[in-house]
Amino acid sequence: MKIKDIIKSDAGFRYIIESMELMSSAGRRAMLNTGFTADSAVLETEWERISTVIHATQNADSKRAYTDLRHCLMQLHDLQGTLLSLASHTPLNEVELFEIKNLSHISTAARRAIAQLQLEAILPLPDTSAVFALLDPDNTGIANFYVYDTYDPRLPALRRELKTLQDHEGDPGRISQLLAEQNDIQNQVCNTLSDRLHEWAPTLATTMEQMAYADFLLAKADLAVRWQLCRPTLGGTMRLHGLWNPRLKHRNEELGMRYQAVDIELTDGVTLVTGANMAGKTVLLKSVGTAQTMVQCGMFVPAESAETMPFESVATSIGDEQNEMNGLSSYASEIIKISDIVAQSRSHRLLALIDEPARTTNPTEGKALVEALINIMEQATSVTLVTTHYDHLAGRCRRLRVKGFVEDMEHTPLTPQNINRFIDYSLTEDHSGEVPHEALRIATILGCDEELIASARQHLDQ
Amino acid sequence: MPFVADILKHKSLSIVGLEKNTGKTVCLNYILRRLNQLGTSVGVTSIGVDGEQVDSVFATAKPEVTLYGGTYFITSEKHYLMRQAVSEIVAVDSRRTALGPLVTARVRIAGKVLLSGAATTGILRSQIQAFDSMGVGLSIVDGALSRLSLASPTVSESMILATGAAVSANVKQLISKTRHLYRLINLEETEETLKETLNTIESGIWAIGNDGCLHDLELPSVFLIDSQSADILRFGKTLFVAGALSDRLLKILTPRKPGITLIARDFTKIFASPEAYAEFTRRGHRMAVLQRSKLIAVTLNPTSPQGFLLDSKSVCDALSDALQTPVYDVMKIEQ
Repeated sequence: MKIKDIIKSDAGFRYIIESMELMSSAGRRAMLNTGFTADSAVLETEWERISTVIHATQNADSKRAYTDLRHCLMQLHDLQGTLLSLASHTPLNEVELFEIKNLSHISTAARRAIAQLQLEAILPLPDTSAVFALLDPDNTGIANFYVYDTYDPRLPALRRELKTLQDHEGDPGRISQLLAEQNDIQNQVCNTLSDRLHEWAPTLATTMEQMAYADFLLAKADLAVRWQLCRPTLGGTMRLHGLWNPRLKHRNEELGMRYQAVDIELTDGVTLVTGANMAGKTVLLKSVGTAQTMVQCGMFVPAESAETMPFESVATSIGDEQNEMNGLSSYASEIIKISDIVAQSRSHRLLALIDEPARTTNPTEGKALVEALINIMEQATSVTLVTTHYDHLAGRCRRLRVKGFVEDMEHTPLTPQNINRFIDYSLTEDHSGEVPHEALRIATILGCDEELIASARQHLDQ
Repeated sequence: MPFVADILKHKSLSIVGLEKNTGKTVCLNYILRRLNQLGTSVGVTSIGVDGEQVDSVFATAKPEVTLYGGTYFITSEKHYLMRQAVSEIVAVDSRRTALGPLVTARVRIAGKVLLSGAATTGILRSQIQAFDSMGVGLSIVDGALSRLSLASPTVSESMILATGAAVSANVKQLISKTRHLYRLINLEETEETLKETLNTIESGIWAIGNDGCLHDLELPSVFLIDSQSADILRFGKTLFVAGALSDRLLKILTPRKPGITLIARDFTKIFASPEAYAEFTRRGHRMAVLQRSKLIAVTLNPTSPQGFLLDSKSVCDALSDALQTPVYDVMKIEQ
């Protein structure tokens, strides 16, 4: 899986990717083609690089070099097509030669800035000054390009005559003739330059790819600083402290609503989470999923501290995703996803996140399905997090409960807008097997029809 | 050397033709030649051709213009490689058009160049800014009436309007169409304090109350007026239309008591027919704009694409008379 595939189905992770400030389209391409990996060494290396970049760029002395480097990256064009032409001996035109000259120009400046930041070890750029010299025969030192007089001994005299004729509106026939001759020479020069640049094609491709990678790495470091993300560590359990969900936290901040980070520890086997409606169970699953995806894409994570482990895949069944299969009922599409997770777990180590399984079918069979799911996933070498409203579920597993409503809510008029102030989203170990019975209370707060509520209470009492 | 001195009072100029074949290119060539003689540094960019939908990805060709030494210009890669001038590439835009990326270059030896571009106000503004940073004294946008928004004063400070036989073979009609646009271009600006407040509003129709306060009429579009049109004037008789101002709104307001002032962002946002506008003002209402374009000159091309020729002198005089401003025959100013 590459980042470009993950963002198609994971809106939380897409929000992260859209928040990255990349300077170039080549950098964006590099980012989207980065893969989800379970290779600890690769991840550790990447995090170390982010730390190094943060360290190197976040002090007053380096500000200038950092700005210079970002400025160079901003001028980076995606030259895949041009470099392919160069590699396959297709002659380049003046515009393409300008692009090559510009690439060598900005990469030379970027190399200088990288050296000043002492980041050569992680962002090595090839020396392309010979390319620049070839395309700058007059030693102008700037990226501008045309077929300079210096390239061909016939050009100076020809252009002198052309200029005289143009300035004095001379013989159009002669002007056409001179223009045609000049074009021939220009084409010959472009062909010769393309031949001489051919051997540089791989180096230039590396230069572009390295600059694109630098763009992505700097953006990751920048996001880590802007959002105060933490560097994860790898170990035998998942311990996410002060975990927050970027999309939700930022939305709440915009609306002036509070946001509560949560702590969660997970180990192999199944962890069951219960809690009232609106207590944030689904958000919890999504936050864990987004954080783990960030970890395995070599990024820092939205938490105060994060110890985790690599998985072969993050598998989710979260009902309100917009990718439910066409023509299937919500139960059908859910069961297909869950079945897929169970099947995968037999051969892969997963982080499985399953939101209220079997909630859309009859409770008798639904409960049996959830108990079966717990039993199977408990045996698998995966970490499984399941939320549910079913109580007294049989089966061995760890149980957590969202604390939910705090008591002083009774004294304040509640609205859907302020309700989250009265919910404690933190998790606590739960041994009762009971689930909170607050559905009617919450429905009342949400302004549900009074007769409906009253009637429901009567049914409950019977 | 008519009107060139006026052009130089501004940093940017759009040349807009009322129709195709109204002599825009002839006019541009004239201006470029004059500016070259005066030694002014010039940057030239263009928009798509008439009749195309605004599309920043699609680039369209324009007639060739002669560019002189030192002039900066922007054209697509395809047309850059076909140029007859000797020039040096200064920058290549990362945005691609159907004709390749846009190339910015500086002329070393004069010659003809085919201009093509990507037409959005945002791109034009950034191009003019880039010219400015290269030390260009005057940026010229080669425009088209079908993309009038690109002649907006938010893009260029001044403009030249090209009209001619291509607009109509009937001199009366030609004058009436030209005069209508001329009037819109010359609508008065609102007072400074109001300008500042209204400039930040991006959508909707707003009333400026008698107390000077702004009230959102909560009509996102003119098309939603009908049901509420009865009380559209409940806060006051001055209305600001942030988006397009159409005949529909004029027709609703025209029968109301005289004294309504309708404010549009600039003349490019007014899509009112000559008839509806005439009726609106005849009933004692007025229109104003937040930003007015400085109209430098009106030029006339007496030749129509079908080949017939209007009498240059009499049409120029009649038009001059109707507009109360000088009108130049483009074919003659070249001589």
